[in-house]
Amino acid sequence: MFKLSLTTSGQYISAAIFEQKLVSSSIFKSDKGSTSLLLNQIDELFKKTGIKRKDLDAVYFDNGPGYYTGLRIGMAVSQGICSSLGIPIIPVNGLDALAFAAHTSHRKICSIIDIKRNEFAYCTYNPLPGGVAKATEPEVITLDNLEIKISEDSDKKLLVGNWDLIDNKKILNDSNTKLADPRFVTAENIFNVGERLFQSNKYPDFNEIQIEYMREPDVTLPKENLVKMVNFYD
Amino acid sequence: MLEDKIILGFETSCDETAIAIMRNDELLVNKISSQIDLHEKFGGVVPEVASRAHAEMIRNLLHSALNEGGVELSEVDVVASTDGPGLAGSLVVGYNFAKSIAWSLEKPFLGVDHMVGHLSAPLIENPSLKPPFLSLLVSGGHTQIVLVEEWGKYNLIGTTIDDAAGEAFDKLSRYCGFGFPGGPAIQKIGDGGDETKIDFPRPKTSNKFDYSFSGLKTAAIYYLQGLPDDQPISKKDFAASYQEAIVDSLMSIFEKAVKETNVPTISGGGGVMANSRLREKLMIFAENENKDLLLPSPKLSTDNAAMICIAAKNNLITNDLGLEDIRLSSIIS
Ligand SMILES: [Zn+2]
Repeated sequence: MFKLSLTTSGQYISAAIFEQKLVSSSIFKSDKGSTSLLLNQIDELFKKTGIKRKDLDAVYFDNGPGYYTGLRIGMAVSQGICSSLGIPIIPVNGLDALAFAAHTSHRKICSIIDIKRNEFAYCTYNPLPGGVAKATEPEVITLDNLEIKISEDSDKKLLVGNWDLIDNKKILNDSNTKLADPRFVTAENIFNVGERLFQSNKYPDFNEIQIEYMREPDVTLPKENLVKMVNFYD
Repeated sequence: MLEDKIILGFETSCDETAIAIMRNDELLVNKISSQIDLHEKFGGVVPEVASRAHAEMIRNLLHSALNEGGVELSEVDVVASTDGPGLAGSLVVGYNFAKSIAWSLEKPFLGVDHMVGHLSAPLIENPSLKPPFLSLLVSGGHTQIVLVEEWGKYNLIGTTIDDAAGEAFDKLSRYCGFGFPGGPAIQKIGDGGDETKIDFPRPKTSNKFDYSFSGLKTAAIYYLQGLPDDQPISKKDFAASYQEAIVDSLMSIFEKAVKETNVPTISGGGGVMANSRLREKLMIFAENENKDLLLPSPKLSTDNAAMICIAAKNNLITNDLGLEDIRLSSIIS
């Protein structure tokens, strides 16, 4: 019963194989042009552990939010593997994965994921015995508004994820605010949530799997599209 | 060595999600999921919109391709995918999906250059195509004259220094509200029009085999802007004249290249090669010059994955590679 878990949503790409517990994992910093590295990394994990591809039972992958290209690579690789091996594919939300990793805390948990262009995906959670529950809906927020939100929130809270990108260090040093790990989503975070979703059958059908972009594509209509009124006759 | 082998090919370099399956010389499936509807309102391909659509589409497209061909994934012997050039965010989707399938099935994987795909496309319908030949590759993303000295030896002797020919169609079409993609739209509007009505410039470049199209688009826009309000103009004639200027430019430089290289065979590919005026002129030229003309049909001229399958196969044959060889050399590069 081997499971493969992946995350490609941020600066660190990681892959891991689990058999209830971690068997082997690898992590590297993503670079431009590293499009093939995820599959290379997976290949090395299998070589190193001697596990056969056909012994894989499911793939858990980080379906966002995060960096678009990375997310698409993660989904393409997960779908390629699962289609070929005929095994389930389970998408795991990165904000949830970060919060779940901190669920033993007694504070409110604030998950922060960089989605570039000075914006962040943000969601808060309350810890429960054995898990977390969303306290707010996930949202996209600018850095400025994130700083305001955190500084105005007087609850005792724990920040996880990309809090190090907050410029205003005064906010981070506030007595109500504790800074915690994980600082970015790891394959292990994804596994811990994915395994629960898998065991309880709480995952979407193959056809319904989507990436959580949380933003519409950035498109500006070209100026020339404003059709010049030409005096044409047919 | 390649007898009875099944090749599964992927192409996602621009705005078409495409998957094809070949068995021997037979094209079993050639599926293309076009994104024209998505990009139409922008009058051009929006990279982020294209990447999202590829990611959403590709798994289901594979499923329907396999169904249509009556092929099980486990029967596939070789997987091939475009590995560039193209829109980076689009390329990674097909490439990673394809490569992870090869990895999972423990089958060989081949990355194929998109342009080599176009060069090889005529082989699907004309297995007799043999180098040396000269190919005119024209689309919204490229305008190239390639001398194929032998398979694997591709000599780019001419290219565009600014816009591609397809871009010249798209940009003017967007400006005039003719529709997207611009080539087919302008061809349709210009059908039956007088192509000699407006004498648009045929731009020249310093390298004798290079193209330039941005000036033509600007000239056409200036022409429209300069028209007096009380002097309406025939849409048909305007479109036909513009198309003629593009086709003329493409032909005159290509003709020079054919004469100078003195190849016995000429070919072509890319979306603009579906233009019937261009095909007609190539046919007349080939006949006059006594050259063999081997063009892919319009459906195989535009971006597709069948060309990726045939290019992969041709590569394996001409380099005399056994499947073991490519598994070792390129499953993980
Ligand atoms: Zn093309």
